[in-house]
Amino acid sequence: MENKRPRLSLDELHQLKWLLGGGLVLLAAWSVCYLDLDAWTLMGLTTAAVLVALVRPDWPARVPAWAHRLVFPAVVAFFVGDLWVTGEVLPAIVRLDLLLLAYRGTSYRQKRDDLQVVVLGLFLIVVAGVLTVSLVFAAQILVFTACALGFLFLITLVEAAEAGLPPAPAVVEPSWVHVRWGRLLRRVRSVTDWRIVTLGGVLFAGLVGVSALLFLAIPRFQLENSLFLERFMTKKARSGFNESIKFGEVTEILQDNSVAANVDVSDRGQIPATPYWRMLVLDEYRDGGFRLSPALRRSAFGREQTSAAVRGPVRSRLGEPVYWTFYLEAGISRYLPLLGPFEQLRFQELQNFRLGADPGLLALRDEPVSMVAYRVEGMSTGNLLPDPKFAALLASGRTPGPLELPSLMLRLGVGEADRVTLRAMVAEITRGEALTAEEFSRRAGTWLGQRHSYSLQPLIPGGPGDALVRWLKSQEGGHCELFAGAFVLLARTAGFPTRLVTGFKGGTWNAYSGNFTLRNSDAHAWCEIFDRAAGAWRRTDPTAGAAATVVDETRGDAALARRTDRSWAARFDSLRVFWYRRVVNFDQRSQVETLKAVKAATENSGRQLFSLFIAAIHGIRAWLAEPWDARRVSRLLAEVVGVTAVVWGAVRLTRTWRLRGRPGARGRRLDPVRAEASRWLRRITETGVERPEGEEIFAELQRLRFGARGTWPEPEAVFRRARRTVRELRRMRRRD
Amino acid sequence: MSDILKAEQVTQAKQALNRLRTGMRTSIKGKNDVIDQVLVCLLAGGHLLLEDLPGVGKTTLAYALARSMDCDFNRIQFTSDLLPSDVTGVAIYDETAKEFVFKKGPVFASVVLADEINRATPKTQSALLEVMDRARVTVDGVAHAVGAPFMVFATQNPVDYEGTFPLPESQMDRFLMRLQMGYPQPGDELEILRLARMSYDAIAISPVISRDEVLRLQALTTQVFVEDSVLDYLLRLVTATRSETEFKAGVSVRGGLALRAAAQARALLQGRDFVLPEDVAELVPSILAHRLALVRQTSDALEERAVVIGALRRILSTLPRPK
Repeated sequence: MENKRPRLSLDELHQLKWLLGGGLVLLAAWSVCYLDLDAWTLMGLTTAAVLVALVRPDWPARVPAWAHRLVFPAVVAFFVGDLWVTGEVLPAIVRLDLLLLAYRGTSYRQKRDDLQVVVLGLFLIVVAGVLTVSLVFAAQILVFTACALGFLFLITLVEAAEAGLPPAPAVVEPSWVHVRWGRLLRRVRSVTDWRIVTLGGVLFAGLVGVSALLFLAIPRFQLENSLFLERFMTKKARSGFNESIKFGEVTEILQDNSVAANVDVSDRGQIPATPYWRMLVLDEYRDGGFRLSPALRRSAFGREQTSAAVRGPVRSRLGEPVYWTFYLEAGISRYLPLLGPFEQLRFQELQNFRLGADPGLLALRDEPVSMVAYRVEGMSTGNLLPDPKFAALLASGRTPGPLELPSLMLRLGVGEADRVTLRAMVAEITRGEALTAEEFSRRAGTWLGQRHSYSLQPLIPGGPGDALVRWLKSQEGGHCELFAGAFVLLARTAGFPTRLVTGFKGGTWNAYSGNFTLRNSDAHAWCEIFDRAAGAWRRTDPTAGAAATVVDETRGDAALARRTDRSWAARFDSLRVFWYRRVVNFDQRSQVETLKAVKAATENSGRQLFSLFIAAIHGIRAWLAEPWDARRVSRLLAEVVGVTAVVWGAVRLTRTWRLRGRPGARGRRLDPVRAEASRWLRRITETGVERPEGEEIFAELQRLRFGARGTWPEPEAVFRRARRTVRELRRMRRRD
Repeated sequence: MSDILKAEQVTQAKQALNRLRTGMRTSIKGKNDVIDQVLVCLLAGGHLLLEDLPGVGKTTLAYALARSMDCDFNRIQFTSDLLPSDVTGVAIYDETAKEFVFKKGPVFASVVLADEINRATPKTQSALLEVMDRARVTVDGVAHAVGAPFMVFATQNPVDYEGTFPLPESQMDRFLMRLQMGYPQPGDELEILRLARMSYDAIAISPVISRDEVLRLQALTTQVFVEDSVLDYLLRLVTATRSETEFKAGVSVRGGLALRAAAQARALLQGRDFVLPEDVAELVPSILAHRLALVRQTSDALEERAVVIGALRRILSTLPRPK
């Protein structure tokens, strides 16, 4: 019996190639979704055009030939114009790539155009991957590679089928454009040999597995450093984390629930109950907003350094240091979140930065366009930030000028009328007593909390004078920046040097990956008031509803328990953290740790298996050593017979059930006996042995498969013999 | 087809057909495949168009078949001046009986050889339509059955087209199959040359099967079982020719019925009472090719035949076959 598998016609191959090519274009174009580039319109248009071309492959033929001739000059003109207007190379190249992909996805392609689709798509995905280092990239490159391999295979098939035929012009309607996708997919299914597909899938999975092993084993290097893609684009930080802020800008960022940073901690017992992740200190209040004054910038930040590690002011103590590994997402800020000053900070690669040792800040030169990972060692987590330099300045009593330190920390930046108002308020808070910074913070926080509630839609009353003072006078609600700003004005009026700090407060503890997750909605502003007695800046959070105005320092698992997140979003975030830990931030230390863990796991499994094996041997020995009497032998025999009977019965039952067919499985489905006969015919054919042993059973199987039901021999007997024959023929083949 | 064939009926049929096959093989050397195809045509009750060069044994083949089954044989040489009545017969006035008496034409035989059929005018060619379809001739309103079995062997020369009238599609459709004889192999031709005879009527052939047995075999053929998936395969083949862009038009319903009947005949010839997908696939070129015309017609009949058969083989290779 000939058993030749049907093949797809040339037109069907073309249709499949068109479908897969369109899919590749869409897959590549969608990387714009997480590339954070201004190419959304172009991406939307590309998607729409390619989808239309996929649904109606005959429509591209309606485009006149002159339009095809105009495409190249138009694309070049667009690219040059784009470069001229935006001045950014990489985004312009990405948009050019998208345009070319859109054209290739909507016009009939020759072989070189198909290869162009693969190259253009790969470029877009690799650029997106290198810039974002995201988990989506890993999935996307895997799917793209698999599809591209299939696509190249199809190109080869089409080329082989077209051997000798002249190439069709790109603008003429080819014969294959009238597609019925449902029919095509059914045809593909009917011609597909699932064994080959499975084998291909296994090979691909094996390739991915080997790549993963190589990734574990080979020395580390930074791909993005080799490509220098970051140089070709710039990024804007989110408002709220710039050197200056205006009140009201915070609302938008607080409604953004996306992840801003993930933090790994080597000792979870060291995590404060309410961590305040400091990013930026703002000292100068003018024109209704706080900003980082040039004086503080000069005094706090040192010279720019280019290094992969930096030492901070904290000196090491006895005991195992605590490591904090931060994964800061792109587009948050060039100021890195930290809990306070640190002993040492290491980047994955060389970075250009300025260290603010005393305020415990670190600023990169540029906004990072991809995730930044850094590890901090010996970080101070307390609410007191010693600043001996500032204490000395204060003690010296020198007042070099209103815009210099330390005067700047006491400067109000409001008119005289507002100063009078502020003094009256401070008198109400202090009730004429001389308070310590800590006590003033507590009373001022309580006073603010009694007059104003927390609101994300604050209302600042109109009128003359400073906006913040007007809000203070009113009873309107406000958000953290208003509370913190108001506190700064009150404290400075009372004679306490005070500054505003921005960053993140709190965060959630991801129960699945065991790390802290900071979201943009955790963005917060609070204050630091200088405590002359302690010679340090004391953190205070005056926002209404904050857990404590002067923050407590409870630590440990109990504190983490109330922050634990077990939602589905946390599961997804844990994948992202895994990706960062094990792939993106996979340095030599992690490499050694992973290999050690793999070795330990393998050894453990081996030991366990061996001990199980030994235990089994001992068990059998003990069982054999037991006295063999007639009762035991008969019980054993009964058990063997019972098990055999059950197995035999189950096999018989399954076979009978299969041959009778399932209820409701009639209709166009093949009769179960015919289907079973078909299977055995195929197996006999596959042995490839033509012997008289197989002929008789072959004829009987043919009768079961194609003959009238009334003429059938006993099906089960035939199948039993077929099984024996197949075994025999296979043996013969091996012998031959 | 509702009746199931009995095993002994199939065995007897196989024995009878083997006798017939062996008898014909003694007269026609080296053409076993062609003989098998002719027997398929006979069992299916169809007519045969032999398209080949003169002198390759077409007449001998028809004569050998007629003699082997003890049936009468007539040969009609078609020429441009041949009239329909020269084929079918004519009613002439009988002076003694004072009435018109029908005088049977040469078509009244069990095996009729219509030699070089395309040399006759379309009018004469169409005279064969009714007799090929219904096995009867109607003259002056009176139908005359030609008897059973009835089989037309038409021949035409695919190379020499001078002064010919190509057969219309309606007539081509009435032929169950089209065959080519081809030259014999050198060994077989040497054996032919050793024989003393020159013409076909000098061949001494004894009947190996009776006319009644032929009729019984034809009846058995219709009872050969065709499973649903095989019928579905046959239908898909026929409909695929209708959507193939190379053909002017697809195969007709009559073509599909012919393919089924031929597949049943092939199965019986091989001693089976059921049809295999291979029976259908093997017969596709000979049963369907002459029913299909190309959109881009060529002047060369041989080339056209090759293109049509190539397209049919492509359809066969793309359609999944029941297993």
